Amino acid sequence: MIRYDILICGIGGQGAISLGTILKLAAIHEGLTVVGAERRGGAQREGVVTSNVRYLGLEEGEPFDERKMAVSGLIPAAGADMMISMEPLEALRHVRYLNENSTVIINDFPLIPVSVRIGDSSYPDREEIYSRIRQVTRHVHIHNIEEISKSRFNSLKQVNTLSLGIAYAVGNMPLSGESILATVKDQFPDFGKNKAAFSLGIEIGNSAAEGNAAPTP
Amino acid sequence: MNPLARNEPGKTILAMGNDAIVRGGLEAGLGYFSTYPGTPASEIGEGFTALKQQFPHIHTEFSVNEHVAAHGAQGASWANVRSMVTMKHVGMNVASEVLHFAAYSGVRAGFVVVVGSDPGATSSTSEQDDRWYSLHTHLPILEPATIQEAKDFTIKAFELSEKYNLPVILNAPSKLCHNIGSLTLGSLPREVQKKGHFERNPTRYINLFGGSVANHRRAMESIDALEKDIPLVSLNREAPGTGKTGFISSSINYLYLMEALALLGIVDAPVLKMGITHPLNVKEISGFAGGLERIIIVEELEGFLEYQIKQLLYDTGIRTAIKGKQIFPRYGELDVDIIADVLSRELGLPLPEKMERALTISETLTTGIPPRQGAFCIGCPHRATLYSIVKATDRKVIFAGDIGCYTLSCLPPFRAFDWVTCMNCGVGIAQGMLQKIEGEKVIAYVGDSTFFHSGIPNVINAVQQHADLVLVILDNKWVAMTGHQPSPTTDVSIHGEKMNPVDIKGLLKSIGVKYIRSIDPFNIKASIAAVRDALRQEEGVRVIIAEQECALQFARRIKITPPEYTVFYQIERGRCQLCNECYVDLGCPAIRKDFNDDGHFYYIEETACLRCGACKDLCPNGAIVRTEIKLHPGTSRETEKVS
Repeated sequence: MIRYDILICGIGGQGAISLGTILKLAAIHEGLTVVGAERRGGAQREGVVTSNVRYLGLEEGEPFDERKMAVSGLIPAAGADMMISMEPLEALRHVRYLNENSTVIINDFPLIPVSVRIGDSSYPDREEIYSRIRQVTRHVHIHNIEEISKSRFNSLKQVNTLSLGIAYAVGNMPLSGESILATVKDQFPDFGKNKAAFSLGIEIGNSAAEGNAAPTP
Repeated sequence: MNPLARNEPGKTILAMGNDAIVRGGLEAGLGYFSTYPGTPASEIGEGFTALKQQFPHIHTEFSVNEHVAAHGAQGASWANVRSMVTMKHVGMNVASEVLHFAAYSGVRAGFVVVVGSDPGATSSTSEQDDRWYSLHTHLPILEPATIQEAKDFTIKAFELSEKYNLPVILNAPSKLCHNIGSLTLGSLPREVQKKGHFERNPTRYINLFGGSVANHRRAMESIDALEKDIPLVSLNREAPGTGKTGFISSSINYLYLMEALALLGIVDAPVLKMGITHPLNVKEISGFAGGLERIIIVEELEGFLEYQIKQLLYDTGIRTAIKGKQIFPRYGELDVDIIADVLSRELGLPLPEKMERALTISETLTTGIPPRQGAFCIGCPHRATLYSIVKATDRKVIFAGDIGCYTLSCLPPFRAFDWVTCMNCGVGIAQGMLQKIEGEKVIAYVGDSTFFHSGIPNVINAVQQHADLVLVILDNKWVAMTGHQPSPTTDVSIHGEKMNPVDIKGLLKSIGVKYIRSIDPFNIKASIAAVRDALRQEEGVRVIIAEQECALQFARRIKITPPEYTVFYQIERGRCQLCNECYVDLGCPAIRKDFNDDGHFYYIEETACLRCGACKDLCPNGAIVRTEIKLHPGTSRETEKVS
């Protein structure tokens, strides 16, 4: 049986939901079944947002078994094969969904919560955040994807496709690059730029050593 | 092409649970749709709105409230057109009067009531278990578990409604409404019924004299007839097993349960999946229970199934032990983790090692991390209004809260909000309280859509009973919180089409409000003065209308129709005294903090700023500079003036 669960987390407005949509549409293109609920905060902005992407499919000749194929919208604790976090603190907040084999991709771009802004709490040191996550899994990939998008494409619009490229390179998603690209072409304007961003993402993912600690400048 | 409009039976598309309900309506030949928007079910209304071109025969409306919406759908059903009304769970409180009568008087064409429930109350002020309404209204209730079932059960609901002459409820919790995944399409009807026709039916439609008793009897007979037919309806199914502990579940909880059983290594338990949870069929339940040593019922929120099953088995004499809410919480959401944990303790089985580890270690690892609460959007006029109210009152008044985006004023930095319960709890509670308190001033909030929903009677009452309060109507022209459905004050659609807005001022005058002022929230100094003036007038209902379009809609509008001028705001570091008025007290997320050798400084992130100008108006040091640039047709830009 094919099963692969991805948890995407971020802040409202960062594109976590649309990243999830691309990964789901690509699954349908691939012929897989996909489900996954969204958790949206009560607010439009600044609230925690997660998107669950859960792939399932039968291997060739495998009979349908309801007990195995009943898959809910939410990934259980320790169940995520991959986490893509658009923000460092949010990766840590959702650490319960990780296990020692989970692949984690973190956008090294902190967004300050209101509680920190008004002085009620402080934003933890980023290295501290990452070392806590590494206590669960060694497969942590940290990149300042916003900065890469800005410097290479002069825009923040390629953050999603860069993330997709990195995820495709470092994880074992049951998707072909072709399905992802076909979906990107269908969903985003400016395919040329996004295709380049996807390739660059793959390059970044491949070149980064497993467990790479150094955040990209 | 909108994938929901495709007539390609067997094709799999990506759809949200809410979309699947829309598609179910299309496949069932729906002709009338009404709703009052409410999370998690709002997207159903948006779905039908987006399909207006392809399905022009479907009347689609965002009604003033759920009561009106339900009546409208009843009217269409009585005109022999299939109708659907949707609402969030608390909307059912408002619609329930209509729906009780809908059961008594019956339907003509299928009438389906979709209720989006919110276990965990992530976007509601309550997590009430709406399923109990079925015991009171005598309306059958279906609980789909998957996106596919959300569509298929919708179609089934129309068939049952017509066959048994009752409206049928479809209950979808938020984790189904917002589940996005594969949906396989069925076929669209070849012909659609464009017009209906009313036929008199006084014995059912006139609930007077003996008629109401006869209708009560008929409603009972209808639900009894369905109860007997449940096995034929085939909405329930059993995963057979040889285990002596059986499970009964419904809705998304069935999927959580199946995953939990797999994690615990239980492969032989019989599981009864209930698609229809009222009425229940005695043979089906007793057939499942007989021979089992124990039944565990897994349902979210309260013990609705458990209550009915225990009652029903009592009459059969079957005494299989049943555990439900004895072991599961009656509040909050369920998920695989909670169910696995409860079952592991109940059945004496260990949790999978990696799950156990994740739950333990994650608690330690996340200790002390800052919470992240919502905030007003950048450029939101409510932020500016709240800033002015806090400055004008120093929080020394009672703040009568209400439901809308402005509910966020309960959070920092404003904390100017003393209660929130249901729609129009602001003026409603305040005007009664004011009869009994002295020397305290009250500011009540209400948004435009909430005001029209059920606020007008409250304001009339406040005027008639001489309640002395300041009512701030935060009119942002849209039902913003649920995704920008039109409100009765929407004057121009997002594409510039003129709408037919209600004249709030004229309405207020006609109901006897003597003090009515409008403010532009971004004009902070004038707004503070207006709030102070309204508070100074000691008598009667004084209304301030804070009028400014929702920032998100404004941003969408200027993308479609770019303005002649573009504006920039910048903080001049030399003049900024780091007083924190803009950064903390206004709390605009576009104002950012950074550090250099001299310490910290503030700047406005240009890509985030929506140019509302509130920060410039409130800056006590004149440190925020506005630059206006005229945009010429084409690409050239020229600086026109600096102020």
